[in-house]
Amino acid sequence: MVRLITRTLDMCATEAAESLLQSEETFSACLARINAIVLKPLLQSEPHEQKGKDNLKLLLLLNDCFHALWDLTEENHRTLKEKFSISPSLCLQDLYILWKGDLFLSVYIQYFVTFANCVVVQGFDQAAKNKSEFWKTHKTALKQFLADFTSETSIPVALHTVLHKPLRDHVQQYALILTRLSEAIGKSPDRELVTSAAKQYAKLQSFISQVLDEACLTKALWKSLGHKLTEWLCVPERRLLEDSKNLPVFASVGRTNRVLLFDDILVLIQGNNCQSFDLKLVWVDGSGSEKSAPENRHTIHIVTPEEAFFLSAKEPCMKAVWQWKLNQAVRQALNGKRDFPLWGEAREGSEPPVHRCFKYVFRAEGRFKNAAYEGEWYWGKPHGKGTLKWPDGRNHVGDFKEGLEHGFGICLVPLISEDRYDCYKCHWCEGKMRGYGICEYGNEMVYKGYFNDNLRQGFGILENPSAEQPFKYTGQWDNDKKNGYGVWDDKDRGERYIGIWQDDHRHGQGIVVTQSGVCYQRKFHVDKMVGSGILLLENDSVYEGNFTRDLTFVGKGKLTFSNGFTLEGTFSNKSGQGLQTQGILNTSSDQQDASITKVQLGLDEFPVEKRWQGIYDQFLGFLHSGCKEEMEESFTGFHIQTSKELRKSQEYLFCQRGPEDVSGKIEDVLEELVQHQEPESLQCYLQKAFKSSLHPLGKLLKALTFAFQATYSGIGANKHLLNMAQEEVKYYAKKIWELYQGLLHLALEQKGQPLAETEDGEKSDLSAYRLILPLILPCFYPELFMLYMLYHEKEDDLYCQGIVDLSLFPDIKLLEVLDVQKHLWPLKDLTLTNNQRRSLVKDKCFLSATECLQKLITTVDPREKLEILQKTYEEIETTVSRVVERDYKLPMDDLLPLLMYVVSRARIQHLGAEIHLIRDLMDPTNEGGMYDFLLTALESCYEHIQKDMRLHQRETWHMARDP
Amino acid sequence: MMAIRELKVCLLGDTGVGKSSIVCRFVQDHFDHNISPTIGASFMTKTVPCGNELHKFLIWDTAGQERFHSLAPMYYRGSAAAVIVYDITKQDSFHTLKKWVKELKEHGPENIVMAIAGNKCDLSDLREVPMKDAKEYAESIGAIVVETSAKNAINIEELFQGISRQIPPLDSHENGNNGAIKLGKQTTQTTRRCC
Repeated sequence: MVRLITRTLDMCATEAAESLLQSEETFSACLARINAIVLKPLLQSEPHEQKGKDNLKLLLLLNDCFHALWDLTEENHRTLKEKFSISPSLCLQDLYILWKGDLFLSVYIQYFVTFANCVVVQGFDQAAKNKSEFWKTHKTALKQFLADFTSETSIPVALHTVLHKPLRDHVQQYALILTRLSEAIGKSPDRELVTSAAKQYAKLQSFISQVLDEACLTKALWKSLGHKLTEWLCVPERRLLEDSKNLPVFASVGRTNRVLLFDDILVLIQGNNCQSFDLKLVWVDGSGSEKSAPENRHTIHIVTPEEAFFLSAKEPCMKAVWQWKLNQAVRQALNGKRDFPLWGEAREGSEPPVHRCFKYVFRAEGRFKNAAYEGEWYWGKPHGKGTLKWPDGRNHVGDFKEGLEHGFGICLVPLISEDRYDCYKCHWCEGKMRGYGICEYGNEMVYKGYFNDNLRQGFGILENPSAEQPFKYTGQWDNDKKNGYGVWDDKDRGERYIGIWQDDHRHGQGIVVTQSGVCYQRKFHVDKMVGSGILLLENDSVYEGNFTRDLTFVGKGKLTFSNGFTLEGTFSNKSGQGLQTQGILNTSSDQQDASITKVQLGLDEFPVEKRWQGIYDQFLGFLHSGCKEEMEESFTGFHIQTSKELRKSQEYLFCQRGPEDVSGKIEDVLEELVQHQEPESLQCYLQKAFKSSLHPLGKLLKALTFAFQATYSGIGANKHLLNMAQEEVKYYAKKIWELYQGLLHLALEQKGQPLAETEDGEKSDLSAYRLILPLILPCFYPELFMLYMLYHEKEDDLYCQGIVDLSLFPDIKLLEVLDVQKHLWPLKDLTLTNNQRRSLVKDKCFLSATECLQKLITTVDPREKLEILQKTYEEIETTVSRVVERDYKLPMDDLLPLLMYVVSRARIQHLGAEIHLIRDLMDPTNEGGMYDFLLTALESCYEHIQKDMRLHQRETWHMARDP
Repeated sequence: MMAIRELKVCLLGDTGVGKSSIVCRFVQDHFDHNISPTIGASFMTKTVPCGNELHKFLIWDTAGQERFHSLAPMYYRGSAAAVIVYDITKQDSFHTLKKWVKELKEHGPENIVMAIAGNKCDLSDLREVPMKDAKEYAESIGAIVVETSAKNAINIEELFQGISRQIPPLDSHENGNNGAIKLGKQTTQTTRRCC
């Protein structure tokens, strides 16, 4: 049964092959003759004028296509013939037009498209004219190809016919052979294949006739249009798809009297002029939803990058046809190829995409004039990622929205004089810089901070690293200028100005600290110092009055020496004569007044809540905007850990940024906030958040760290700034807690969860102290502790001398000196080696307590330091209990001498700084409690050792005086 | 929930007059130091009711040795009350007491409540300081005075009750001007637990 079918199939195939062979033989011969008689002579012309040359190029192309087609035919003909010579019976596999259908189709399509190009530009008329003599004599030769050839037939028509009719007929032959075959083989599995092949050839037939029709229509158009318009618009490949003369529509632009739709452009003709629009950037809206649509209801809204207009038709059906054709033409233009057959893929929903990617050069007046935009479009506007390049070298790479820069973008602006650029890496909003940005100016200055309306505004850092006048400004900006509280480092002079700015000038109260440790506070007026101020010299003398920038005293003033002597009078400094003064020297005070040598600057002039407002404002802005993911970077700055990474980011920002590079997902952040509300998990969570350069709170802390270091590190390490710094750190904690609560509030709101009770001021302050301060303190500790050390330098030195003196005593002697009751002496701890006397052993007693106390310097958190104190006490108690062999509750009479012993043995260098840091930064609820008591006990030991030392010094001084 | 007020109380007096014995006795049958840790006998706490408030005494001991006298201001700063102890069997200790009172008047916190405790009243045979002297002196300075025996637990409770009564009620004393009056830890923790 199977065999039977096969045999029948083969029979059919053989039959088909036979007719194919026959047909190919005839066709091949025909092609050979066309080639010899028509094509060759056509190509032999040697045109001189441009038009002729263009024409010859087209004919050469046609010749190529012709030969490709001929070769294909010849080759297949030969193969078929060989197969027949081997076996009389063939199978389906031998019918190449079946298997190689696609190849045949493409060769024929190629040929007819090229042929049509020649037709459109009237190539055959040209050719006929050029060699009219030749064709007159060879007219009869053409006759053999044409059945209805008469003497009236013109040469161009004859050429036209000869070069397409035989080929078209042959396609028909193919279709016929296949159709017959498909009928013959009946219900066979292969039938489907044959039928679809037959259909393809049928489609090719209709494609050919459409192509020829379009070509004729277009040719007719070029003939009818004015010379100038034709010159502009006519290219061989262009085809007319619709014409308002044929199907009337009216455009709402100027005096447009004709609308032409081509396969690549839409043209509006106004008299002798025309406007054309690339179809790739034409959006067609036929919904009539546009409010601005004219009264006529049958309108189509056409949107292009720089122009939008309406096409209106009288009848709804006309509008429908235009709309349909426009849409299809746009879609095909975007595809870069025509449908097969033409309009063939125009099904329902096959409208062109609204998001497109294309290049366009703006022409209209305005910011974008002559700029080329390459990137994503939406309804005629740059929208999405793109690059905008101006002819002057300026370019912008980044996100666009509705035609304007919006979102992150990098903009390069060339400087006129040099081969340098200002590079803005910034967030943009509706075409202007807004939010966080980094600008690397062509003159090597770098600004990192906030912008608004293209201007520097809010918190920002401007640094000039160049050799000439290096400086760094950290502070507030307004209207592109330094305005408000800011810190300025003049690296040449080794000076730092901390104070108020106005329009780029020091203007208002200011503190200047210098490399040498001298610092002063006074009023500035447009960079000049005015009025009297307070000058704190490095030898602890203080001058109140007027003085110059070189620190020479001028006019009335009061100089207080560190020993308490004061000199009040009028100072002058004539050149070459040194400092001169007339005044009263007061030596009555023999007590050094700590309140003046340790005077604290800036507390009233720069209230802590007025410092660094720009940083908090951005975070608040972020909260108020509802913490939108896309706004996060703009408000809180970029996630950039190192300068290396910044450079890297610069490179890849030019391309698309992957999702992993986007700063932490805000949604996740908010989710986590909601989950970590319990004190313990909150602490862990915040600790992680502060360390993360992705988390908004981490970024906030980073910014505050920058601000803090800019003020208090390096030459800012001046004891007169301690209180400013200390109060600032506490305020950071308070502010961070406030902003954390704002964030949590928003997170709860977004999750639809009940809101937590808002804490009252006092409670909120406590949380800031207990929770936030210990977590953020490590960021500020080095600078802050340095300030404490400087502030307590004198006391610490005195104390250290005391410690050194006490360290000379052996353990037993020291216990005795300190009046520790004998029954508490841990003599068992004094294990002796040979020849050692017990009274000489050192650093053995209360060793565990001593070692414990020494850990104080390795911690940062005041709470941890207090815990160390408690443990130190416990160690003392344990040792004593062991000595007296019972639980012993130490009264202060016993504890203080013992603690003094331990403190003197622990030899902590900057104990004064440590004690005061703990006291200033510890949880205020500790006040009066156990930790306060322990700290007070420690402080009293510190004071006592110092006081002893002072007494001791006075005694030696008296002894020296009265021998 | 009664409000808890933390009251810092400072103990002054010569070595050996029994400062810490009085406190130990006071907190003895009351083991709240399991919750609020102590520093030996040097720092102890005890909470007692007073009217509609709870008074949490934070009792700071000081070293009585003469050489540490100058360190005392660090301890009594911010105190709501001071308990100055003398030994009725030692006239010297009553002298020291007078010195303390004088110093507190001059340098101590404003409105500090002073309580004079004549300890070791169980040893009345050896008495050197007559009760009358102490009473007259106390009256002259407006202080509380009791004779106590830490050993026999005489008048200990009364001593602290007396202090409690002298502490002005909270409302008349908002934001306490001596810094010792404020909301204590317990209050904050309790309210947190509710929400």
